[in-house]
Amino acid sequence: MGRGRRILMLLLSAVLTLAVSWADSEELGGNFSLTDHNNRPFELHQLKGKLVLLFFGYTYCPDICPTELANLSAVLNALDDQAERVQGLFVSLDPGRDTPAVLHDYVRHFNRGLVGLAGSEEEVAQVARQYRVDYRRHEKEDGGYSIDHSVNLYLIDSQGALSAVVPYGLPPQHLLETVRGLLAEMADKDSPS
Amino acid sequence: MYRLLLTSLLLAVTPFSMVTAAQLPDTAPGYGKLGYPLPEIGSYALPSLGRAANGEIIDSRGQRQSLHDIFSDRYVLLAFIYSTCSDVNGCPLSSHVFYKIKSAMKRDAELADRLKMVSLSFDPENDTPEVMRLYSNNFRYAGKAGEWQFITTASQQQLQPILRAYNQVIQREVDSKGNPVVGFSHVLRVFLIDPDKAIRNIYSVDFLHHELIINDLKTLLRQETVQGRMSKTAVELDEPARLSKPGDDKQGYEEESYVTRSLDLESRRGEAADLLGIANSPPLGLPPIPVPADNPLTREKIELGRRLFFDRRLSLNDTFSCAMCHVPEQGFTSNELAMAVGIEGRSVRRNSPTVYNSAYASLLFHDGREESLEQQVWGPLLARNEMANPSVGYVLQKIRDIDDYDGRFEAAFDGRGVSMETLGMAIASYQRTLVSANSAFDRWRYGGDKQALSATARRGFDLFVGKAGCASCHRISDDHALFTDNDLHNTGIGYRESMGIVPEKQPILVAPGVVLEVDRAVIEQVGEPPPTDVGRYEVTQNPNDRWKYKTPSLRNVALTAPYMHNGSLGTLREVVDFYDRGGVSNELLDPLIRPLGLSETEKEDLVAFLQSLTGGNVDTLVADAFAAPVGDVGKGDPSWVHGTEVEVR
Repeated sequence: MGRGRRILMLLLSAVLTLAVSWADSEELGGNFSLTDHNNRPFELHQLKGKLVLLFFGYTYCPDICPTELANLSAVLNALDDQAERVQGLFVSLDPGRDTPAVLHDYVRHFNRGLVGLAGSEEEVAQVARQYRVDYRRHEKEDGGYSIDHSVNLYLIDSQGALSAVVPYGLPPQHLLETVRGLLAEMADKDSPS
Repeated sequence: MYRLLLTSLLLAVTPFSMVTAAQLPDTAPGYGKLGYPLPEIGSYALPSLGRAANGEIIDSRGQRQSLHDIFSDRYVLLAFIYSTCSDVNGCPLSSHVFYKIKSAMKRDAELADRLKMVSLSFDPENDTPEVMRLYSNNFRYAGKAGEWQFITTASQQQLQPILRAYNQVIQREVDSKGNPVVGFSHVLRVFLIDPDKAIRNIYSVDFLHHELIINDLKTLLRQETVQGRMSKTAVELDEPARLSKPGDDKQGYEEESYVTRSLDLESRRGEAADLLGIANSPPLGLPPIPVPADNPLTREKIELGRRLFFDRRLSLNDTFSCAMCHVPEQGFTSNELAMAVGIEGRSVRRNSPTVYNSAYASLLFHDGREESLEQQVWGPLLARNEMANPSVGYVLQKIRDIDDYDGRFEAAFDGRGVSMETLGMAIASYQRTLVSANSAFDRWRYGGDKQALSATARRGFDLFVGKAGCASCHRISDDHALFTDNDLHNTGIGYRESMGIVPEKQPILVAPGVVLEVDRAVIEQVGEPPPTDVGRYEVTQNPNDRWKYKTPSLRNVALTAPYMHNGSLGTLREVVDFYDRGGVSNELLDPLIRPLGLSETEKEDLVAFLQSLTGGNVDTLVADAFAAPVGDVGKGDPSWVHGTEVEVR
């Protein structure tokens, strides 16, 4: 038992060392390149001027992703005429299964305005690193797999800078309030006065 | 209103059946409505559960601060989180509940004014101050009312002492193959802390609900105005002995307000201490320890003695170590047994004395029949109702056969192997290092810290050395205090026991806090007849020595209940009451014992003084004991079952 714990501690320290090395070396947030659900190249830059709601997950996700996407969609709908100033993005952490075509069908179930984004293993890993998303493939007994991942919603302002991280667990009302607040702030900042 | 609006929108636009966290199966009550009526505000008590430790943190602007500075002088809700947490009943639950409280603060100025919420990350590598700032940005638009701060630490070095102080066990989660998976495993606990930094409630998953928390806070606020702030010193008292309690602490279990205080085994992690260093310079309030010329302390001997002390194989049936009656976290005695119980449940006729400060004892055992720790060791080893070894040779041969001890005696004793003498010397060496002082009393009396002792305890001290006369036997010197005269006295407790003077009914604890009065006759039908015990007379055969027992030291006395040689008094208050009545009258009663005529307040003062005698290093010594190897039957060990050796563990 003592041995098992020692191994665990070693693993833990290895993981932490790894985490430190990349947490220090990379800036938080920023531009990234992926492929959108219509199979067109996508860069975050393109959305300059809009408030971006960025969410990570995968289409085989059994519970959390659908719940969160539905909440996200509800917020987008509740924005009415301001909805066009906001763009929801869903980045798939499962390059093996989530092709642009699969994502196309999936995200549009939730909201027509949502854009699904796919990429190679490396591309997705790069974006996840930038936004400090923790994810890991989890093999199942039956040969399939799931993907464990952290669940936060990232709010990116009209200049492409990360503006807030909404922790998982807060109710949709909160997200709506925050989005409205950010939109009002952006309107002040962006209008030449 | 929003909720209604959103729900209808969701139903209208989503083709998937929509579930919110509140409707997901197995979500905590905190996401939904409270499932029970709350007790009326102010109708219950929230006693201090200990002190909320300080630590060094970094706020979301990157400024180094102390945790207590963050708390400022407000009530605080403290949650431990990490930003990549996705367990719905973990960190997100605390965020959800905090959000609810933050919302309530908009409507409730008192709440917003008096309470502050703090989320502290336990993942400093990922949760940099910048991440914490992005978190707090959530509430830029939520109105000014109420503060919710997100803080982190500079590194594990700053974080670990905080986690330890709050009993937060955090581990990287691994799957069945030992590969790390996303996230940490931790048990969610949210702390409600008062402005004096006392923890007043700890919410686990099932109890974390904004309505309950607000109810608790309102209760505290109401009681604060009635009673004034609680005494700081009283709160600080329990701090040094954080580890000295049962892992499964059921105190107050019978109260409706009981919230589990059980300690995770992981939180009682061992940490080896420099025992030799401690023994060589005992804490404030103790003189240098007497060490026999032929058994000087060395690290090897202490280490070997510690190994033996925790080795269950030292008993006849390989089950019973010294530490099982002298339990480190129970004051190195047994808090749960009036009289000890040996192997196979055999009754022992006296209370286990504490090992703390046994280095100073010139008389050992309650009847003082032994003169040194080296020799005393053999008493329990050979007693048929304790460790039950049939002979000295049996014990020595068994140790020779156990691989764990190969070469250890030789290394510690200059080539000498295990013998009656070296075994005693080794165990005595470990016991000798368990010196404990630097209590609040010591800091006040010998350290010149006028504030170290509360006013109550100071009054208790005056009674202790004055009116109550305790110090006649529990002595205090000018430069140190052993709280014993190393002598024996008749208080009447033994006389009462011998004469069979017992109440017709005896209280029996059937569940924590639930006591039934049971007829003595019923107990006698099922119980072993109490063995005779005439105290010191058994050693001297002098009739005047009947029912005399040794004066125990009172250091750490708050940790060593129950009291008296037979454990017949459960609390310090009962002990004070006993002496106030003048003990039990008998022809040989010690003349120093007489009715004291103490008032209610005076009795409370005395108890407060006794509680101030808990040593400042007890956690160090207990954590060291947790780090000790526990000897148990393993492969290759001699086996009492098979007569040969154990084949499979």
